[in-house]
Amino acid sequence: MKSHWLFVGVAGVGVALLLSSFLGIFEKQVDYNTQIKPLLNKNCIVCHGGVKKAAGFSLLFKQEALAPAKSGKLAIVPGDADASEMIRRLTLTDPDERMPLNHPALKPDEIDLLRRWIDQGAKWGDHWAYQPVERPGVPATGSFWSRLTSYVPGHGKNSWAKNEIDHFILDKLEQEGLTPSPEADRATLIRRVSLDLTGLPPTEKEAADFINDTSSDAYEKVVDRLLKSPAYGERWAGMWLDLARYADTKGYERDPGRKIWRYRDWLIKAFNDDKPFNKFTVEQLAGDLFPTPTDDQFIATGFHRNTMNNDEGGTQDEEFRVAAVIDRVNTTWDVWQGTTFACIQCHSHPYDPFTHDEYYKFMAFFNNARDEDVTSDTPTLRFYKPDDSLKVVSLKQFIKTTVTNPEQAQKTVNQVTKLVRTVEPKINSHDFDQLVNASLLDAKYFGFQDKGATRIKNVTLTGRPRLLIAWGTKATNATVTIRQDKLDGPVLARVPVPKTGSQGNDTIQMIPLPEVQGKHNLYLSLNSPTSPKDWVQIKWVSFQPLLPGQPMDSLGEKDKLLLDILNADAPQTPIMLDGTGDLARETHVFERGNWMVKGKKVSPDVPKSFPAMSPDLPKNRLGMARWLVNRNNPLTARVAVNRFWEQLFGTGIIETIEDMGTQGIPPTHRDLLDYLAVEFMETDRWSMKKLLKKIVMSATYQQQSSASPELVAKDPYNRLLARGPRVRLSAEAVHDQALAVSKLLSQKMYGPSVMPSQPDGIWQSPYDGDKWKLSMGEDRHRRALYTYWKRTAPYPSMVTFDSPSREFCQLRRLRTNTPLQALVTLNDPVYVEAAQHLAAYMSNHGKSPEGQIQAGFRQIMLRDLPSKKLAVLVRLYRTTEQYYREKPGEAENLLDRPGFDCTKVSPQLAALTVTANTMLNLDEVITKE
Amino acid sequence: MNKLLQELQQAAAERETRRHFLHTCSTGLGAMAFGSLLQGCNFLTNNDRQNNTVGSTIQSDEPTAPHPSAYLPKAQRVIYIHMAGSPSQLELFDYKPELAKYDGKDCPQELLTGKKFAFIRGVPKMLGPQGKFAQHGNSGAWVSDYLPHLQGVVDDITFLKAMHTDQFNHAPAQLLMHTGGARLGRPSMGSWVTYGLGTENDNLPGYIVLASGGKQPDAGKSVWGSGFLPTVYQGVQCRTDGDPVLFASDPSGMNRDIRKQTIDAISEINQQQYDDVKDPEILTRIAQYELAFRMQMSVPDAMAIKNEPQYILDSYGVDPNKGSFARNCLLARRLVERGVRFVQLFDWGWDTHGTSADGSIDIGLKDKCHQSDQAVAALLKDLKQRGLLDDTLVVWGGEFGRTPMQENRDGQVLPFMGRDHHLEAFTVWMAGGGVKKGFSFGETDDIGYYGVKDKVHIHDFQATILHLLGFDHTKLTYQFQGRPFRLTDVAGKIVKPILA
Repeated sequence: MKSHWLFVGVAGVGVALLLSSFLGIFEKQVDYNTQIKPLLNKNCIVCHGGVKKAAGFSLLFKQEALAPAKSGKLAIVPGDADASEMIRRLTLTDPDERMPLNHPALKPDEIDLLRRWIDQGAKWGDHWAYQPVERPGVPATGSFWSRLTSYVPGHGKNSWAKNEIDHFILDKLEQEGLTPSPEADRATLIRRVSLDLTGLPPTEKEAADFINDTSSDAYEKVVDRLLKSPAYGERWAGMWLDLARYADTKGYERDPGRKIWRYRDWLIKAFNDDKPFNKFTVEQLAGDLFPTPTDDQFIATGFHRNTMNNDEGGTQDEEFRVAAVIDRVNTTWDVWQGTTFACIQCHSHPYDPFTHDEYYKFMAFFNNARDEDVTSDTPTLRFYKPDDSLKVVSLKQFIKTTVTNPEQAQKTVNQVTKLVRTVEPKINSHDFDQLVNASLLDAKYFGFQDKGATRIKNVTLTGRPRLLIAWGTKATNATVTIRQDKLDGPVLARVPVPKTGSQGNDTIQMIPLPEVQGKHNLYLSLNSPTSPKDWVQIKWVSFQPLLPGQPMDSLGEKDKLLLDILNADAPQTPIMLDGTGDLARETHVFERGNWMVKGKKVSPDVPKSFPAMSPDLPKNRLGMARWLVNRNNPLTARVAVNRFWEQLFGTGIIETIEDMGTQGIPPTHRDLLDYLAVEFMETDRWSMKKLLKKIVMSATYQQQSSASPELVAKDPYNRLLARGPRVRLSAEAVHDQALAVSKLLSQKMYGPSVMPSQPDGIWQSPYDGDKWKLSMGEDRHRRALYTYWKRTAPYPSMVTFDSPSREFCQLRRLRTNTPLQALVTLNDPVYVEAAQHLAAYMSNHGKSPEGQIQAGFRQIMLRDLPSKKLAVLVRLYRTTEQYYREKPGEAENLLDRPGFDCTKVSPQLAALTVTANTMLNLDEVITKE
Repeated sequence: MNKLLQELQQAAAERETRRHFLHTCSTGLGAMAFGSLLQGCNFLTNNDRQNNTVGSTIQSDEPTAPHPSAYLPKAQRVIYIHMAGSPSQLELFDYKPELAKYDGKDCPQELLTGKKFAFIRGVPKMLGPQGKFAQHGNSGAWVSDYLPHLQGVVDDITFLKAMHTDQFNHAPAQLLMHTGGARLGRPSMGSWVTYGLGTENDNLPGYIVLASGGKQPDAGKSVWGSGFLPTVYQGVQCRTDGDPVLFASDPSGMNRDIRKQTIDAISEINQQQYDDVKDPEILTRIAQYELAFRMQMSVPDAMAIKNEPQYILDSYGVDPNKGSFARNCLLARRLVERGVRFVQLFDWGWDTHGTSADGSIDIGLKDKCHQSDQAVAALLKDLKQRGLLDDTLVVWGGEFGRTPMQENRDGQVLPFMGRDHHLEAFTVWMAGGGVKKGFSFGETDDIGYYGVKDKVHIHDFQATILHLLGFDHTKLTYQFQGRPFRLTDVAGKIVKPILA
């Protein structure tokens, strides 16, 4: 574009250009986004932006920047730099007046640039990433092409590029005077693509098949096989778990367990089924809002139920409910829009075009969710055991046969289904007020003692003559009286409280209420003369309509059946569910982000600087989710494509995958990003497998990763991709590879998280008695993504290899290279065990030490060791074998572990174990090459 | 080895310079920092760290190499003693004779209206101080008979008596204290400090955590986590049982000599690999494996308390075979002596609500004081004697204070004497490293409910600690999710009157 301008300018000289300054013809047009915005952001916006508007002047939005400042002066006069106060203030010598205040002056060329920009009309531009994604032209294989052929040995003309990706890459390489690297050897390539697509190394046979396959589509066959492998879903679910901040505990102080692994399993299946990214998105964000959600769609909403819950005594549920809602807003923007929305929780965005109010409008999409930081993690989806399932079926059957109007029957069935599957709608007892001789026990659930009372506010009683109460107590002979409107108002019911043994051991009771119309306050009072000090605890109450054919004033047969079902023991998983009617919430702006200071009321909407929601979309989470994956959303596809690229190449096309905004690092190949985004949305209809296939089929991806010193010097971080990716394996892959090559890895998929070997003393939770209980059998050797994840004490070796703790969404793992990582792969018993099993394999697959070492190395790296490296390992083997021969007891110490046959202890096996341990620590082994 | 280091430095210097170049030129952010070329392997100069405007990937190959401060620091290292659960300032330092007069009376309504407490419900009774107070030292500091040993070292201490916080539950309050934010996910103070200053001993982690009292602090490992900073800056917990650093022990049946040979083999093969593929990351890995090997020796050596002479063990009251708070105090001295930048001690069990004898201010608190007092005083004396106190900052405190009222959990009279969590006023103290000796700052009202003079917020306290270490707390930032973050969030004023 830069070099073309002159030609375009000269060729297209017209009236407009003649009218502007004569020099303008020869002057390059200043680009706001790439040249001006960075200058303003760096030097001005801290004081003249969204947070502060010093002197009433802001550069964030065009209309603000062109308006007079407090002084009445115009900072920017388009077309006239000399009349612009901004330029004057930048060039003063008096330090009290010169801008930027108390900072070094701008450089003359920077001021000159601003001057030219104003002279050219101070044209504003939207940040590129907020503009619609349009299909860019694929760079032609132009004049450089002929030159290229001589660079790539063994390749004919036009032969390097395998697909469009390569054209974009080559175009840029050409500009930088670089040439691509040759294709990686097949062993390296199959290891790379297997680790990338499935997180596991290939087997020796898979590698051999590929190496010996002479057909032209040999590589493509490998790729297709990998994309179909069940391990594919596990690998990509592993990536998504960081974004979903998935954990097996609730976080905060007590950090007790949470059973939400069904969501993790849903992810694995979704990736394996290649659920299109738009559906994948909508189901996770709003699966519960489909007309009749399937179990899977409910489970998918676990995405946003991975927010933390605070069970610490003394905490206010509302505070942490709000914290979870805010986290959902921030995470949604992080994951799908690559935008730091969290800034505008407190103030308008300092750099990007979002206002404070827009945050809360967006929050309104999430604010109706029924979860309220209640200890039980409600609402959940209940999975009934077979006997209880039959009861549910028979109840539904009864309704369908009893209610003659089919529409009415279906309505009743839906309402009963919602009740038995999710136990909603209900009022959580932390909302009770006007407590007398009562308290929120441990700040969780309401409880009262003899003569205690409380109020349940604003209950709609019309058509709801059945009260469900979940309560527990060890008190005997306690009675609760329920009155209408006043503490001494008309009695609606007087019920004996069932003695359940303890307050925590609760049972659900159904109480018939007389027919009452309208909204009322209800008053509950407790009479408990026998054990006045024993607490009667209530977890929740729910007001339900009458089931068909049941008597009004006593419980009928089906009432009892329903109660039976509700009291059944059923495994559960947390889900999203919106409240309606009395349970819908209003959303207010929080002044300065403080949840206790509520400002004006807002209704759900998306930010103005984005395409508006289509009018046919509902203004709820479902509509919002559909808006995210609409073709005209500028960010969703770009962010997704960038993330997958980053997973394969180690760095995104935009390095800051968490920030596509103006403060992020600009893309290295913007047209390529847009090309892939359009392809993803249009051609491939959001298929993640097709996107991945496209990338790994490119010549760019298949290049060898070694580099000449010149290339390393020129492009140390391989941003231009004149060579293949070379990146340390993820925490999961380091672990899974060690188990796979030693034949320890279990193939088992799904289910509750497991507890493999971990040093003692990692878990020290202050209160709960949770213990790390070593899993049995093959569960000790499952893939890393099944490892039980405790937020306050995550599995140590994973964290050492840069896994986040999953308290919040983490979009990118920074790769570190530390001595603690070395200690893990050298000494962690998990890795020593792997070495020992690899050694056993080696000892069976070679006659000489040389042969055995080669066999082990091939198992890991799918190729032979070069002789120089082999010599190092053979030397190590010989000296250690000597040592263990002299000290057989030491060999026994090394090899003696549960499940190992002691008769096999030998100095040779001990030395091979040491050798295998060494191999598993080689740089090339823990690196994807 | 020398050759390797040179090669590593050379490769990384080229890379880093290029990296700065790429970033500064492509984003127009940050200053061109060619300084890195001139400073050997300190690629990220302190200046970079204080104005981190580039992307958040730190790939410096010596991320923990020592870095100079922005300006002359008074403290080179920190020992931070956190009494998790929060000791009662009203029993220890903040002497309130007036409060005794109200003992047993109903708490006035104006102290309750609009306030939230963790456990107090309804109208609690006031509770007079349980310790016997007297003034000590030339400075005349008030310290109760709960802490007889500390009484002897008050002339080295600055007390901050009008601290206040925003959080009245343990986990969020501890997070606020250590990470500047009440929610999980931000880097801890020790991470910020090692990120900013590196470490002085490259055979040991720069930031070490020691916990005692039988449990981890309520907020878990997040209080020494690195948040969004690279994990190399997170606190390394040295454990009292098992390996002091996880996986530092060689597998049984593998002696040091064999381990050395394996490391040598790994390095040799990795060097060959580097020669082939020229990825500078390999050189870093070679260096890190060699450091790991040294750490396997140096960590146990630093932790080998048995090597201390008996009189030192006696002065701290340490039984070398038992994990204890006292042992951790002595370890803290051994670690700072070896150049560890930030030593964080946590002692669990200071939460005195009155629900049990252990959790009461008349029994449990006395016991906790008894178990820790001698060691804390000994630590100050020991550091002083070795000339380390001048540039080592020692900090002592909890995460909040305790109420002047007696706790009445769920409206009940509790079996023991206790106080609820209190965010309006509490006491912490600092000694050494650039703070005044024998000084008291801040005052609370007659019953110790509110700070009335020279109040210090958590962020002020953090700003001051960073200042003592030579940082401008507004400039020690890290770019994350599109904006610069810092320890003090968007607040914090340096408490200048306490600076020596």
